[in-house]
Amino acid sequence: MSLDISFIGILIGSIMASSVPLILAASGELITERSGVLNLGVEGMMIIGAISGFALMVITDNLFIAIVGSMLSGVIISLIFGFLTQSLLTNHVATGLALTIFGIGLSAMLGKNFVGIPGKEFPILFSSLRENIPFFGPILFGHSIVLYFAFALPFLTNYFLKKTKLGLIVRAVGDSPVSASNQGINVILVRYCCILYGGAMCGLAGAYLSLIYTPQWIENMTAGRGWIALALVVFATWSPIKVLIGALIFGGITILQLHMQAIGFRIPVQFLSALPYLMTIIVLVVISRDSRKIKLNTPTSLGRIFYKEK
Amino acid sequence: MATDLRISNISKIYPGCIANDNVSLQFKSGKIYALLGENGAGKSTLVKILSGVISPDNGEVFLNEKNLKLSSPLDAKKNKIGMVFQHFNLFETLSVFENLSIDATEDNKSLRLRINEIFKKYNFSIDLDVPVLNLSAGQKQKVEIIRCLLRSPKVLIMDEPTSVLTEQETEELFISLKKFCDEGILIIYITHKLKEVLSLCDEVAVMRKGKVVSVSQTQNEKVETLANKMVGQKLAKIKKKINISKNKDEIFKVKHLNFYSDDPFETNLVNLNFSVKKGECLGIAGISGNGQNELFQILSGEIITPNTSIIFRNKEIAKLNPKQRREYLMAFSPEDRISQAAVPELKIYENVALNNFKASNFFEKGLVNERKIKDHSKKILSDFSVNTDNVELKSQFLSGGNLQKLILGRELITAPELLICYNPTWGLDVGAINYIHETLIKINDQEKSTILISTDTEELLKLSDRIAVIYKGKLSKIMSSGEVTPEKLGVLMGGGSID
Repeated sequence: MSLDISFIGILIGSIMASSVPLILAASGELITERSGVLNLGVEGMMIIGAISGFALMVITDNLFIAIVGSMLSGVIISLIFGFLTQSLLTNHVATGLALTIFGIGLSAMLGKNFVGIPGKEFPILFSSLRENIPFFGPILFGHSIVLYFAFALPFLTNYFLKKTKLGLIVRAVGDSPVSASNQGINVILVRYCCILYGGAMCGLAGAYLSLIYTPQWIENMTAGRGWIALALVVFATWSPIKVLIGALIFGGITILQLHMQAIGFRIPVQFLSALPYLMTIIVLVVISRDSRKIKLNTPTSLGRIFYKEK
Repeated sequence: MATDLRISNISKIYPGCIANDNVSLQFKSGKIYALLGENGAGKSTLVKILSGVISPDNGEVFLNEKNLKLSSPLDAKKNKIGMVFQHFNLFETLSVFENLSIDATEDNKSLRLRINEIFKKYNFSIDLDVPVLNLSAGQKQKVEIIRCLLRSPKVLIMDEPTSVLTEQETEELFISLKKFCDEGILIIYITHKLKEVLSLCDEVAVMRKGKVVSVSQTQNEKVETLANKMVGQKLAKIKKKINISKNKDEIFKVKHLNFYSDDPFETNLVNLNFSVKKGECLGIAGISGNGQNELFQILSGEIITPNTSIIFRNKEIAKLNPKQRREYLMAFSPEDRISQAAVPELKIYENVALNNFKASNFFEKGLVNERKIKDHSKKILSDFSVNTDNVELKSQFLSGGNLQKLILGRELITAPELLICYNPTWGLDVGAINYIHETLIKINDQEKSTILISTDTEELLKLSDRIAVIYKGKLSKIMSSGEVTPEKLGVLMGGGSID
């Protein structure tokens, strides 16, 4: 029996690890969208973060530089998006899609020489506690610092949006950029900041994949996680805590269905593979069916181009 | 301390239009100033310049002889110029308090205290923790005003503040504005409503086509003199000859109209019965939200109610949809020009084509006959003096008055036997209102009938032959407009009885 319990603990630990990139990317995108900007380039920014993190690790042999560099690369590529949509007033949707395509292509080109190079072990925290405490050990301890950060992030985001002045300004800009501008808020600046922050978080999410989760570079290794993160933000109705719940459900069922496939359940594999997507949508729809609350959380100006009268 | 605001030689030119042409004005605290003009006269441009939203091409603004540089809304704020926009500048999804705190420099606790002081002083009461989207228009405006008051303004500019308010809210607003004025705040009141100018303001500046055409004391002015200055020509006075003849045929007859809705925002209609004679205008008065929306939709066929009988030209049409009803020569002009009557993103001729009849042959074998529609549209534009001859123009670029003319033109060019319109002159300026009133009277002169649902009592008394009042979904008895006075209508509209 004790074996089963410790197995469940390890299982939960691995579910948490698998949902980290979703939490990071979705939390970043959530802030971007709350300011009224729809950036569909999440997948592209993640994959750029993944390759630049891995490349920097190989070149400098320094994980700290690799992590910071991946976030910076996310910032730089999102700056392109910001410049196009905020300064040149291009369409958010088209620009975001282009960013994803660009990111995937660029990362494949940059990553050519890094295929097959083994990654470096990422330091984990409290590894002795992990071994010594049954069940809770593998859940709470022995993870990388990025995982702890990722699990704190939704709560920090929630606090930021609800309790701080800056959060209020972000929400105001997302609600009505014209009113915000008339109140003397620099809408373009706020939106730039939110876009760059989103880029940094997506870059970090990518680096988590290539440095920690599966420490190596594989072409197209984000495998659609950016799109899942985007969907999570919408289905979680722009609430950070629901993003966390959604990411855990998605990660959880992904891992569970793999185990079910391994055990050999008599359910078609295709159905099992579709299960994470299905369940995540169902659960998020059920927990966010209060239409009044949805209206209050939805950034009214999402995806609309704002230009200042002169 | 007295405030003195001086605008000197302000000009603002947009491509193809001079919004402000060398405007100079002077305002002193202790008075309420009106800035009067038709839509597009340049009032809004001027106040946008004063509030720093846009910058002028030329000219200067002086506050107490200090030259102000107003290059952003922040500059206006710093110089204590407060502004309440016509379209509210609020964040709908944020709470009232969040809206007020967004540009506050103090902490939340002392801000709450200050807000409560303002509430007490001016007798306001609004729940600070509900989202703004739950407030009525009047309450939203109060939030805007409080936001200005929190910064202890020297100048308060109100841009068409009553266009969304009820009568009572308007009265409350006027009381507050007079109080602010007594406290030494300089108030500039922008409007196109003449009566408001006369009842509220001390001095009035009239703008036309970007220029100030007159500045005068309101006590020396009358509605007519102001209207003439505003429009720039003498307006013909419209008065309709009431025609009631007992022996004319009833062309339209509604029996047992009942409507029940689960939606709390809709009004139930209870047993409405009425009829319209040939060449007659039946007016339906009432404060908005008493069932006019529902009534209009049922009459136009957007909503089909069971067990109702609507007879039109001796045919039962209660089950027909709007298009079928149009084929029987009914025509409709809904209240909401932008979203119900016309599609703003479509070009003028495309909007005209939306109203297609079998007889008009706009479409042949599934293809659009563009030339035919365009010719037809051009005829509407010239027949109904719409201020453009470009049928390719997107409808959203038409002013409210011109759009209403286009809509009426589209409806009337097929010579319908009955026109049903709902607040046809809502939000329009005097010139356009006059034109539309003339048009509606002309229809009756040609022995065609109209049903006029309106919240404007004056309009109803001017145009209707008979009037009924709708209150909470019930219709009063139908009176001849000769025996009706504004006072009687007011009593009925408030739910009272006059017998």
